[in-house]
Amino acid sequence: MHTKKIAGLAAAVALATMLTACGTATQPGATSSSGGTVTLEFVQWWEPELPSGALRSLMDQFESENPGIKVDLLSGPYADTQQQVVAGAAAGTLSDVVGLDGAWVSDLVKQGALANLSDLMTQAGFDPSQLGSTVDINGSTYMIPTVNFVYPMFVNNDLLSAAGITTPPSTRTEFAADAKQVTNASNNVYGWVLPLGLDTANGIQNDVMSWVWASGGSMMKNGQPNIAGNADIMSALQFIQQMYNDQVIVPGALSLQEQDKVNNFTNGRVAMMIDSLAHITMIRQANPNLNFSVIPIPAADGYTGTRGIPYASWGIGVSQNSQHPAEAWKLVQFLMNAQNNAKLAELANAFPNNKQAQPDYSTADPVFQEAYQLYQQQTPINEFQGLPTATALMQSFDTEFQKALDQGQSLDQTLTNIQAAWAPSFGTS
Amino acid sequence: MSTKRRLLDRVTPVAYLSPTLLLMCILMLVPIVLVIGYSFMSNVIMTKESVFVGVANYFKVLKDPVFHEALWNTFVFTVGSVAIHMVLGMVFALLLNSKMISTFTRAFFRVIYVLPWVFTAAIIAILWRLILDPSGVLNYLLRQVGLIHQPIAWLGTTQTAMLALLLINVWAGYPFYMISMLATMQGIPDELYEAAMVDGASPWQQFWNITLPQMRPILLSLGTLDLIWTMQQFPLIWMTTGGGPIHSTEMLSTYTYKLAFNQYQFSMASTSGVVVLIISAALAVVYARTQRAGD
Amino acid sequence: MKPKKLAQKTGVMIALIAGACFAGLPVVWMVSSSFKPNTQIFAYPPHLFESDMSWTAYAAIFTDPEKVRFFLNSYLVALSVTAGTLFVGIMGAYAFSRWEFRGKRVLNTLIISVQAIPPITLLIPYFGLIVALGLYNTYWALILTYMVFTLPYAILMLTGYFNTIPRALDEAVMIDGANRFKALWQVIVPVSIPGLVSVAIYTFMQAWNEFLFALTLTKTNNMRTVPIGIQLLMGQHNYEWNQMMAMSILGCLPVLILFLFFQRYFIGGMTAGAVKN
Repeated sequence: MHTKKIAGLAAAVALATMLTACGTATQPGATSSSGGTVTLEFVQWWEPELPSGALRSLMDQFESENPGIKVDLLSGPYADTQQQVVAGAAAGTLSDVVGLDGAWVSDLVKQGALANLSDLMTQAGFDPSQLGSTVDINGSTYMIPTVNFVYPMFVNNDLLSAAGITTPPSTRTEFAADAKQVTNASNNVYGWVLPLGLDTANGIQNDVMSWVWASGGSMMKNGQPNIAGNADIMSALQFIQQMYNDQVIVPGALSLQEQDKVNNFTNGRVAMMIDSLAHITMIRQANPNLNFSVIPIPAADGYTGTRGIPYASWGIGVSQNSQHPAEAWKLVQFLMNAQNNAKLAELANAFPNNKQAQPDYSTADPVFQEAYQLYQQQTPINEFQGLPTATALMQSFDTEFQKALDQGQSLDQTLTNIQAAWAPSFGTS
Repeated sequence: MSTKRRLLDRVTPVAYLSPTLLLMCILMLVPIVLVIGYSFMSNVIMTKESVFVGVANYFKVLKDPVFHEALWNTFVFTVGSVAIHMVLGMVFALLLNSKMISTFTRAFFRVIYVLPWVFTAAIIAILWRLILDPSGVLNYLLRQVGLIHQPIAWLGTTQTAMLALLLINVWAGYPFYMISMLATMQGIPDELYEAAMVDGASPWQQFWNITLPQMRPILLSLGTLDLIWTMQQFPLIWMTTGGGPIHSTEMLSTYTYKLAFNQYQFSMASTSGVVVLIISAALAVVYARTQRAGD
Repeated sequence: MKPKKLAQKTGVMIALIAGACFAGLPVVWMVSSSFKPNTQIFAYPPHLFESDMSWTAYAAIFTDPEKVRFFLNSYLVALSVTAGTLFVGIMGAYAFSRWEFRGKRVLNTLIISVQAIPPITLLIPYFGLIVALGLYNTYWALILTYMVFTLPYAILMLTGYFNTIPRALDEAVMIDGANRFKALWQVIVPVSIPGLVSVAIYTFMQAWNEFLFALTLTKTNNMRTVPIGIQLLMGQHNYEWNQMMAMSILGCLPVLILFLFFQRYFIGGMTAGAVKN
């Protein structure tokens, strides 16, 4: 009786497992083609970020230029799109065209979920030299950034001048001194804000490593992490730790998120922050009286080379499982051509990744125009793009750095621990 | 006749249970069996050729110091939450059941008391982040009253993050236990209390000798369920602290999530999930035993 | 005697108000935030009232058909799940309560413990299963999923509840010629209403508030529920704080009204009556 039951159960499970497996294998992507019309699915988090209806109207334009192709926009919240993409990749139901973050690419490629864009470009006769940057794994392109959001230093001019500072800081020493001068804890005003919350841990990329990149430093060497004993990272961490100990950083840094950073700045509670230009409109709307501008991230004292400026992208890729890779590529190409790329950049308050695109920022915020000048003089850099398990790397970096800030772990030890924590992701444990 | 009767007695309960069994087998058992299978494989999903590795993943997880921390934190968080849920739920239920207050007033307060329960985790997390922020309303009030001089980053300090999380979880969770207790209390026959009053029992004695014994079974069930549910609490923790600062609020659920969706170690995540399953199965067995002893 | 009673009454009242502050003040803060412009939400010192409070956030939700659809979806899913779980749960609990059968204990333990596996671990295989069953991006995916989540609790609680109802009651009805099935629905269920209501409320709330599976098992916005609608307002760069608050308040109002209506079922000795018969 018992054995029978168990056998029956096992059979049921096996059947269901097979169903799952078959489903995974035969599921024809999410695409359908009926009556000569191909319907592409495009999953992204951009639509809610753009002015209402903006992305849809771009898609309508694409559809009218490419009769026989329809686009279904599948939009989700940014924070959860990754999860959806990962689940979709695992079950083989990833949409034909996928919005990507550079941090996800390596692992999706490892899973075999993304199509090789280099091949698609060759087939379509597309010249990749017009692209500002691409995310490549093993020499092939898997993600193309459509538009880039750069992260300069925002300064609250009123807070600086109230503290008697007339020229914004350009070196770390000046920055630390200014931050100290501005800070007035009893009025709830601080010099700088550092969001180190662990759920996304992107503060490591935007607010910590940005100091290293701005002074020409790097965390990588020949495709391997180079952190233990790295003098550039060491000096940046020392600099941040000093400010943390001087209490010129907004309290609660260890759990703050990017949103908290912006809110503190918008409400005049912090004089300086490193932040995405995408926030300008929002800051203006939220506090029309805020007098602020953007400056390059201050460099290490005496550094005269080109300054790196961190950036994030709205990347795009094509699913390996797509039944219509050629049509999917058409959509990518449509978004990447000079004219549409410029339009998307204008809509998103971002910079185009097509080098020939000439967005019209004449109606944009003056601060944005300033930033565009800065952007053209600096090198956009983000070493986390394309790294395996990039989010996990930031999380382990973050955890170790928190130990240094909160529990007195030495910075030498911190760098050694980060190097050790990263090793398995690069197959060098 | 009697064999037919016996057969019928055997088949009927299965017939009544069949919709439940069908649903649970297909939608619950299959994924669980798959997850258990994953836990014995080298990294599934990420690699095409995943191989059987026996209990290697279990050794790896059980040896991880972060896992130990997560286990301990989960224990503290779970036991703390359940204890406070039970006490607070009971106190509130008693208050709302008090015959000294008019029916209308009770109905009014019942609605207020149930409020925290109707919100989704994302909003609860956001609301409490706002309130507990160093420049948020709680710090402001505490400073006005003079209880603290410096604002405290409740969620951002290793010493206070767990407490803050407990507060949030207690706030979000107690109404459910309160309602269940209230419903049970109102099922206790009035005659029992009337008889006790005739004997001159004080309210405290009535509570101790009538209410509590009458509620014992429901308290046991609620407690066990709460233990199991709190153990896997994820969204509230993830959206307030993300397991930090450092690992001070790292729980089995956040640990598992990071393994799966940040490190793409689905086999290891499955392993960690199975460990949680084993712990809760043990809890469930203990629960079933106490239930039997009580019969 | 009288002043003692008064003192007791005052004590209870004070305790009630203190508890209400704990429960309600955060919600008051939420309501106030939903009327503020987004910047004022972070103003320091914080104020409960601002001069420029408005209904803008609420208007933004009501005038967006996509957001209204989230609400309709949530109702459809949550009500279906409640009905489904009650139906299946009543049958299952009745079997557990009225019969001894082989494997009952094991089954019971299993049903309790399977709820403990972190849903996040199950997500990937579960998603594959739903896709394989052809339920991806349908209401069925959500309804069946939430039924599976809420059934263990429903069965556990209802079994306990049915156990307090004497078997003599079913037998009395059966002697009158009704079969067991009729006895269950015509006699046992009506006297179990308080228990059913608490299970129903629990089920409804779980289905209403679930986020993770709702996000993963659907892909188009016309299938999505309120929690995802709220999350959609948390952009990569920009949070619509006041709209998020407004949306969750709008979402909870009908639930509160439902509770107001049903709470009378907790009151009175319906159970007591049944137990004594």
